[in-house]
Amino acid sequence: MITLQLLVNGLALGAAYALVALGFVLVLNATAAVNFAQGDLVMAGGLLAVALAPHLPAYLPLPGLLLLPVVLVLMAGLGLLLAAAAYLPLRRRPPVAVFISTIAAGIILQNGASVLFGPEPRAAPPLLSGGTLDIGGLVVAEQSLAIIAVAALLIAGQQWLFGRTQLGRRLRATAQDPEMARACGVPVTAMILVTFALGTAFAGAAGLLLANRYFVTPTAGGDLILKAYIAVTIGGWGSVPGAVAGALLIALFEVGVSSVLSYPVALGLLYATLLVILVARPQGLFGEAARRRA
Amino acid sequence: MRRFLSILSATAISAVFAASLPPGAARAGEASIPVLVPLTGFLSLEGTSQRNGAVLALKDAPAGVAVRSEVIDTGTSPEAAVTALERAAGGKVTAVAASMLGTQMLAMLPLAQDYGIPLVTVSGTASITEQGNPWVFRFFPGDAVTKEAHARYVAEELGKKRPAVIYQTTAYGQSGKAHLEQAFKKLGVEPVFEEGVDPAAKDLLPVLTKALAAKPDVLVLHLHSGPTALFIRQAAANGVAVPIVAGSAMHQPSTAALLEPAELKGVCAETAASPISGGSPEVEAFTAAYRAAFNAEPDAFALGQYDGIRMVLAAVQDGAGNAEAVRKALSAGTHQGLAMTYRSDGKGNMAHSAVIVCYDGASRVPAIAKRYDNVTGVVR
Repeated sequence: MITLQLLVNGLALGAAYALVALGFVLVLNATAAVNFAQGDLVMAGGLLAVALAPHLPAYLPLPGLLLLPVVLVLMAGLGLLLAAAAYLPLRRRPPVAVFISTIAAGIILQNGASVLFGPEPRAAPPLLSGGTLDIGGLVVAEQSLAIIAVAALLIAGQQWLFGRTQLGRRLRATAQDPEMARACGVPVTAMILVTFALGTAFAGAAGLLLANRYFVTPTAGGDLILKAYIAVTIGGWGSVPGAVAGALLIALFEVGVSSVLSYPVALGLLYATLLVILVARPQGLFGEAARRRA
Repeated sequence: MRRFLSILSATAISAVFAASLPPGAARAGEASIPVLVPLTGFLSLEGTSQRNGAVLALKDAPAGVAVRSEVIDTGTSPEAAVTALERAAGGKVTAVAASMLGTQMLAMLPLAQDYGIPLVTVSGTASITEQGNPWVFRFFPGDAVTKEAHARYVAEELGKKRPAVIYQTTAYGQSGKAHLEQAFKKLGVEPVFEEGVDPAAKDLLPVLTKALAAKPDVLVLHLHSGPTALFIRQAAANGVAVPIVAGSAMHQPSTAALLEPAELKGVCAETAASPISGGSPEVEAFTAAYRAAFNAEPDAFALGQYDGIRMVLAAVQDGAGNAEAVRKALSAGTHQGLAMTYRSDGKGNMAHSAVIVCYDGASRVPAIAKRYDNVTGVVR
């Protein structure tokens, strides 16, 4: 029974990590730039939910669920600002310029959050309820199930957007070859802005989901960006399924392996596995476009 | 936004000290006490408490003592702390409210000795008072004190003999674990489970599961704030009946705020003091003043730093006219603070008391369950 319980917890954690990693991959694909502010954007999404929660009318049920679309929209706006401030002015410069500018943006977000919200850990409202379900002895937090459901919906939505819509095709064209896309009439700058907005909205959703179950502090983003980076490296740079698989693998080590061995040993094994994957498949488990990008 | 306003008000308070003092005005004593603490970075929660405690003490300076002060954020790097101390040392300094981050303190110590500036801190890092540096004064009990209280409460008050010890893999966690081990050994208690947890670990169910598999009769935590709350929440959700005695992070109001009162039922924690638990009119007045000034709840770090700065100001009021005189007063004197009586053990360790607080499940304000004084036997 406890194994099942750990499995559900691991899936929930992996799903939230996947959202972080997907936002990272989106920007990477569209711009070939690594957005090192992605973890801090997750933190910003969590604290945004914390800040908005008290302003919801008390009679409204399910504050977390109601906040989700609001957080998605506001974070998308923040993504546009980030693109305008940290990417567009530097896109014709060497990649390291964007690299540094996103780190700077992350530090600004961290310190801004620290000034506005204080350093203490906060909890966002639960998506459905903060309770647990007891299913024949299997104790599952409702938030864990909500995280899995929301992440699955957002990931499926992203796949639909990219695979079935005109906007998605333009985004993919921009990702594959911006110059050719521009020559074909695709508004590349607009597509880049949309990408940043989407990636940041994903980060916001992850922030809201994680901040209830695992709390949020202004400095929480540093660890998340590292995990997103590892997930993307394991899965293959640029690969959406790879990012999801990488995120789930990290969660499997953090929850599954650490339940048998100790957490530090599990973490060591995760990095050892990463090394093995990089040696055996330098492009990652699902990588292909990544080789070209990297 | 309220946090932003409280920071503005704290800055304004600092500015008022300086602005309200006419240069050369006759005073019983004058003190310049810069506050050099981490307000950003991973220690900002504790550093902010430290800053607030110092600022409140300076605001409440005794009659006849004129105070000049400025607050400088040291971040979390040793270089920033040294730069801040260099900057502060440019003027005539009476004492410094110095960072609670051990690595910053270790970097500041040689400089403090060169300049002859007493450093008044609530840092818990044991080695800062093991350098043979006469300019450091720690107004917070180190792990040698608090972990002895922690272990004694578990073994003597609760009568538990099979603790499972779960600690953080950071320097903070390792130090606490080492002292817990020694204290339990002295009490003839052998932990049935010990495991370190990385602060980045998101899910603590794995370690909880393994700990319970060892059939402990008590769960002893030494974790940072977020992981403490997460562990207790997961234990409550899983109906764990084994009592929990946590580290000092649990006494912090911001940690309790993450949990429902019912989740806290029966949970205890060690700490230097718990100002929100009251205990005396003076402590309650401090708590009320802190809430009014910062729109937040005080913790033991705030109270420890408050007491430390009050001891410096008392020395100035008693005639200590320069840094050397303040150092002598801190080294040899006794101070009845709000949290405890402070007296140096000869190395600058001023605090020798700890308390155990417990939650009743009805509120997030703990009650003091047990007080341990003179734990090191140094206070005479």
